[in-house]
Amino acid sequence: MIGIESLSKLRSGVAVLDRVSLAGPAAAVTALVGPSGSGKTTLLRCLNGLETFEAGAITIAGHRLTPGPHAAEVLVQLRRDVGMVFQQFNLFPHLSVLDNVALAPRLVGRLAGAEARRRAGALLERVGLSSFTAARPGTLSGGQQQRVAIARALAMQPRVMLFDEPTSALDPGMTREVLDVIVGLARAGQTMVVVTHDHAFAKQAANWVVELAEGRVARQGTAAEVL
Amino acid sequence: MKGVGRAVSGVLLAAGWVAMLPAGGAELDEVRRRGELVWAADQEGGGPHVYPDPADPRTLAGFEVEFAALLANELGVRPRFQQGQWDRLPLLLGQSVDCVINGIELTPERRRDYHCSRPYFGYALQLIGRRDAPPAAAADVAGTGPSGAWRIGVLSGSAAESEMRGLVARGAAQAEVVGYDGTLDSLEQVRTGVLDAALMDDCIFTFYADRFASLRAVDRPFAGGLYTVLSARDTPLLAAAIDEAIGRLIADGRLKSLYDRWDLAGRQQMLLLRDATEIPAARQRSLLELVSQTLPLLLASAGMTVLLSCAAFPLAIVVGLAVAIGRMYGPAWLRPLLTGYVEVLRGTPLMLQLYAIFFLLPKIGLALPALVAAIAGLALNYSAYESEIYRAGLKAVPPGQFEAALALGLSKWQALRYVLVPQAVRVVMPPVTSDFIALFKDTSVCSAITVIELTKRYSVLALTTGRIVELAVVTALLYLAMSWPLALLSRWFERRLERPAGGRP
Ligand SMILES: Nc1ncnc2c1ncn2[C@@H]1O[C@H](COP(=O)(O)OP(=O)(O)OP(=O)(O)O)[C@@H](O)[C@H]1O
Ligand SMILES: [Mg+2]
Repeated sequence: MIGIESLSKLRSGVAVLDRVSLAGPAAAVTALVGPSGSGKTTLLRCLNGLETFEAGAITIAGHRLTPGPHAAEVLVQLRRDVGMVFQQFNLFPHLSVLDNVALAPRLVGRLAGAEARRRAGALLERVGLSSFTAARPGTLSGGQQQRVAIARALAMQPRVMLFDEPTSALDPGMTREVLDVIVGLARAGQTMVVVTHDHAFAKQAANWVVELAEGRVARQGTAAEVL
Repeated sequence: MKGVGRAVSGVLLAAGWVAMLPAGGAELDEVRRRGELVWAADQEGGGPHVYPDPADPRTLAGFEVEFAALLANELGVRPRFQQGQWDRLPLLLGQSVDCVINGIELTPERRRDYHCSRPYFGYALQLIGRRDAPPAAAADVAGTGPSGAWRIGVLSGSAAESEMRGLVARGAAQAEVVGYDGTLDSLEQVRTGVLDAALMDDCIFTFYADRFASLRAVDRPFAGGLYTVLSARDTPLLAAAIDEAIGRLIADGRLKSLYDRWDLAGRQQMLLLRDATEIPAARQRSLLELVSQTLPLLLASAGMTVLLSCAAFPLAIVVGLAVAIGRMYGPAWLRPLLTGYVEVLRGTPLMLQLYAIFFLLPKIGLALPALVAAIAGLALNYSAYESEIYRAGLKAVPPGQFEAALALGLSKWQALRYVLVPQAVRVVMPPVTSDFIALFKDTSVCSAITVIELTKRYSVLALTTGRIVELAVVTALLYLAMSWPLALLSRWFERRLERPAGGRP
């Protein structure tokens, strides 16, 4: 479902991704590991078109991305099928928890308001937050906010989920509740790419691990091989 | 709050200041010691009274310039000119000015409030129209015009204005009377077709007839009156000396030859001045009478102030938001154009923009009614300021918000509409509200294009009644009553913003 072929990206003349290729099982949980500044976030952002790239190609959830700027219609289509969860949650502070989750189904999925809210309620229940639907995101703990962010990304029923260090902004006590949700998704067969520093989690959930160093693939293989 | 607060305290301060002054210029002995008679006029009023000499615009020409020189000479001193806005000239008597010589008509109210000299000139009122358009005769204004009521321009605060309003009140004219700050403004508006006619002192049109070749005098002049030299109530010796001097100028023929030189029918003037009858002084009104007579007018004008603000500001907000979004997210070719729009509107005075809309657009065939022009001008001007506020507000939203919206599949415009703008609005509410108060205050500029709002109404009433202080207090209270709710709203928004509504990741 995800293919990366010799992807290169420059930032002010410097290659932050250098001929990155992915060789792994088709439907799977991929973990991206590597030291800080090695290009993990950049690679993830290329996968849903938040970044452009200079060479190579990406195929993801049936879409094909090529070098240079992406057309707006391509991006809208792509992002219906690829959800993203950010390190800093990026919840919308002016909307209730329920409306955060219901926004994309309503605007992008063109569901009626009631139908969108019903779907949002079901997702919030799935991440264990059904009693917080009316709250503003700012009143929740970090772990709860990240679970809302996951529910929000799931609301478009994406074929691929991207996670960028989903627990590194959290207090240690809260990482477990978020990881449990992600592991649960993985068990349910959700294709995903997870940037993580957490090797224990990678071993538990990932069936393919890619290690980046200075923009290149240093090693890739199963968790047992790489870690 | 600052804006209106400042305007209101300005009115109060000015009023208190005028009241405290030893209402008067210098008495005769001081004028003699100083060696100068300081006389005030408005050179913008134009010819033939007082105007910049076309041959040398640094010097003044006009029959009143020469009359002032003769008068000063009779008192044994030199004349010195002081510029002032025409309808506020009498106020200068409370300051450094000894007398006002500028086509000031002799009226009962002026006789009550100032020393009015014996008349030095007689005028009649002349209706001016376009050569190719009605009214054909002065009597025609009693019926309806080509499109309902006639639109007739007058100089604000002039005898022409009170004559015309009197005719309307008595049902002898069906007209909308439009007041201008300059005489030539109304001629210009007759030429462009915004007005049907103008009413003014006959000598003015005679003087400018060549410049306005498409205009003509409608019928013979009607009504009319006399010009007087104003001096302060508490300088009786100066006033007496001025009267004697005018008497001598009439008796020995110097005034006649002055008028003949200016083509002002010297002999007719002398006959008129010889038989000029005394005009009685008006009665002083009690405070209760004053308030009950002026309050309805002031309230109606306060309504105009509210109407201007409430119509212009929502437009300014909508246009400002569109401009801000266009500058930040629009196509590359649009951005410099919008930057230019903002800089031009912020970099030029509101007054000039209103003038351009009201006086220049008719020249290219787009004549807007004054109220529409005023609302459009205010809205355009403020849209530039609002767009800058919105730009700052949009920049204050963390970039992660935009990316999160895009990552969910929202288009750029959906992200703006549902994620960025709602968050920016919350941030900009306090500055936008205080801008509303500033706009509220700025509506007074609209009087330059004939829209009578509260400040203009105050200054007209203060001048015609002479009750500057009392009316200033009433006016200030009206402004406060209108701005206070806005100030409270602004503070409420500020408090709401300080409250952590949280969640900003
Ligand atoms: N917005 C940006 N502008 C310029 N350079 C950037 C930007 N974002 C990242 N970089 C640079 O690109 C390179 C890759 O950064 P990236 O954020 O992808 O690394 P990372 O592996 O995610 O690191 P971390 O573990 O710290 O998140 C780094 O050299 C970084 O300095
Ligand atoms: Mg990163």
